[in-house]
Amino acid sequence: MDPKGPVSASLFFSCSADAFAPDVCFAATELLERFGVKVGAPLSQTCCGQPAFFTGNRKEARAVARKLLRSFPDDGYIVTPSGSCAAMVHDGFPVLFRDEPRTLAAARAFAERTYELSRFLVDVLGVTDPKSPFTGTVTYHESCRLPKGPKAGAADPPRTLLRSIPGVALVEMEEAGRCCGFGGVFSVRHPQISCAMTERKIERILATGAEYVATADMGCLLNIGGMISRYGYPVKALHLAQVLAGAPRVEEEEGPP
Amino acid sequence: MEPDSRAFERNALKALSDKELQDALENAVGRIEARRAAAVASFDGFEAARERASGLRRETLSRLGDHLARFIEEAEKRGAVVHVARDAAQARGIVARVAREEGVALAVRSKSTAAEEISLDDALREAGVEEVETDLGGYVARLAGEPPSHILSSAFHMTREAVSRVFEGKLGEPPAADAATLSAIARKRLEESFSRAGMGVSGANFLVAETGSVVLLSNDGNARAGALLPRVHLVVAGIEKVVPRMADLPVFLRLLSRSASGQPLPSYVSILTGPRRDGDAEGPQRLHVLLIDCGRSAILEGKYRDALKCIRCGACLSACPVYGCVGGRPYGWVYPGPIGAVLTPLLAGLSEAAALPDASTLCGACSDACPVKVPLSAFLLELRSDTRFQGLKAPAEIAWAKGYASVMKRAGVLEALERILGELSRLVSKGHPLSGMPYPFAGWTERRDFPSVARRPFRKLWKIRRGARE
Repeated sequence: MDPKGPVSASLFFSCSADAFAPDVCFAATELLERFGVKVGAPLSQTCCGQPAFFTGNRKEARAVARKLLRSFPDDGYIVTPSGSCAAMVHDGFPVLFRDEPRTLAAARAFAERTYELSRFLVDVLGVTDPKSPFTGTVTYHESCRLPKGPKAGAADPPRTLLRSIPGVALVEMEEAGRCCGFGGVFSVRHPQISCAMTERKIERILATGAEYVATADMGCLLNIGGMISRYGYPVKALHLAQVLAGAPRVEEEEGPP
Repeated sequence: MEPDSRAFERNALKALSDKELQDALENAVGRIEARRAAAVASFDGFEAARERASGLRRETLSRLGDHLARFIEEAEKRGAVVHVARDAAQARGIVARVAREEGVALAVRSKSTAAEEISLDDALREAGVEEVETDLGGYVARLAGEPPSHILSSAFHMTREAVSRVFEGKLGEPPAADAATLSAIARKRLEESFSRAGMGVSGANFLVAETGSVVLLSNDGNARAGALLPRVHLVVAGIEKVVPRMADLPVFLRLLSRSASGQPLPSYVSILTGPRRDGDAEGPQRLHVLLIDCGRSAILEGKYRDALKCIRCGACLSACPVYGCVGGRPYGWVYPGPIGAVLTPLLAGLSEAAALPDASTLCGACSDACPVKVPLSAFLLELRSDTRFQGLKAPAEIAWAKGYASVMKRAGVLEALERILGELSRLVSKGHPLSGMPYPFAGWTERRDFPSVARRPFRKLWKIRRGARE
């Protein structure tokens, strides 16, 4: 698709990227701007409601989801670097608001405009080459919660994009689509089972010998990255956006708080 | 069978630290899942077949009463005796009565989840009937005194060494290391039972309404022997097992077998229509079919109706990464894995099994694997919400959810919280990721680091770098 005129997109930054990985949001911004998108960041946004929704606390999830719906401008695309946040909007909101027709309609319209970053690049902007200066061997962990909903476009945007980076050698791991064991509250409630799953994922990652493991979801990144950090495994966990933008590390501190 | 699902966490931890079980799981689940995935991938029409099977199941369930009535009428016309039980107690009463009236002393049984659901062994014991499980895996699990770990294969979780120890301890057999010797030991014991048994007890994979037939699938042939050799055959089946027409069967056979074990078709497909007639070479003289409701009618009326589409193939177990780590025991009842985490709360009560829907990352591997499209992930999520309405959530969880919502309702509050947590975590970790966190996150950081909150979260950095344009 070749969009007519300047495209504008609001960054839906995900509360975990906001708090723990601001460089992921900047990588996403840089990437979007590279392709001429005018990027905004509505600062009144907080969270999509996943933690409450996935624990079955729907009343609280609805309150937070409503707040998200109110936080964005009425037009333009909404793009998030976190797959599960996009999935929440696409697959979660219709469940959450099934008994509230008006909010449901608003949520559906919101979902229409909401894209996970790599899908936005491929399906909306028609990007085939992210023009990333990144170099290294990368293995890719498929997050389970990339949106599976009605918006079927290119089969596999993350791999499509990774493969077209000249400096990147994509080395597939076994069981790339198997859950890493995060599961949000699951990893708090059942840390031992969660870690057993993560260990299996790490084994598969290490077996590739790749220098980097990339994923398109903040949850997987915290989880996989957390175990790599603890044991000092010889691989670095990066968000897909960081590989696509080509900036593995953005300076953390600048100016007075 | 009494549910023991409240102890999920405890039994899961036990399973994780059981080295032998872990080896068996990795070996067995890994193998079966690889075969399943390969069989599905090589089946060109898989998606179309799945769609068709799902549609057939849904259509059948929407008029289940009519199809059941037809099944009963046709089966009785052909000489079967059909019983219907509302609940497990009534079902046991019927089993005991049938066994007594038919004068049965020994019953051979082939693996049946419906029979386990109603604790059929209690009924037989009460009626003074000796009972032998003839499914090889079931036989071993029964000897070991363990609940079945998989819908298909009850001793899924046991290594050859473990089986050998059970045979040594319970049967006085010498130790054996190879599978052939072990199964020969079991077969020899079982053969004696087949020839002496007055009654064979089996489940049913399908009930065909238009002919009143019972369809039995098996890979080791024991179900067929149990159905044909003894004088009486008792079938125990859930009321949802009915399919309207014989012509509906092929799509289910192809899907079930591939999804279960990766085979294109089961080794044995037995279609049993009525008891032995004059001129038949074999078959039971009496055929009883016991249809159990045990909560199914209630499911049929509610939002979980599609759970009854399940054809018990076990694909969701094989595909589930949690099941792959802990095996079937922690689920604590007849049905383990994702379908167990849905059916146990529905059939045995949510208060008994509220822990099960939480024991999933909701990764969706189960829903993707299901050949009849039971929305397992969505149901697990729905059940998590039901626990709130039924007052089954811990007060601490509800307090947490309320606190979470009140923070997230205002960006200013979230920003303040980020600042406080950031200061605190930096104080503790001095710029490194956190290697320990307080309750309830202590477990999280046992083998993983958690990042500190950034000194300047994105929303703050954006304002600094881009100005407050928004």
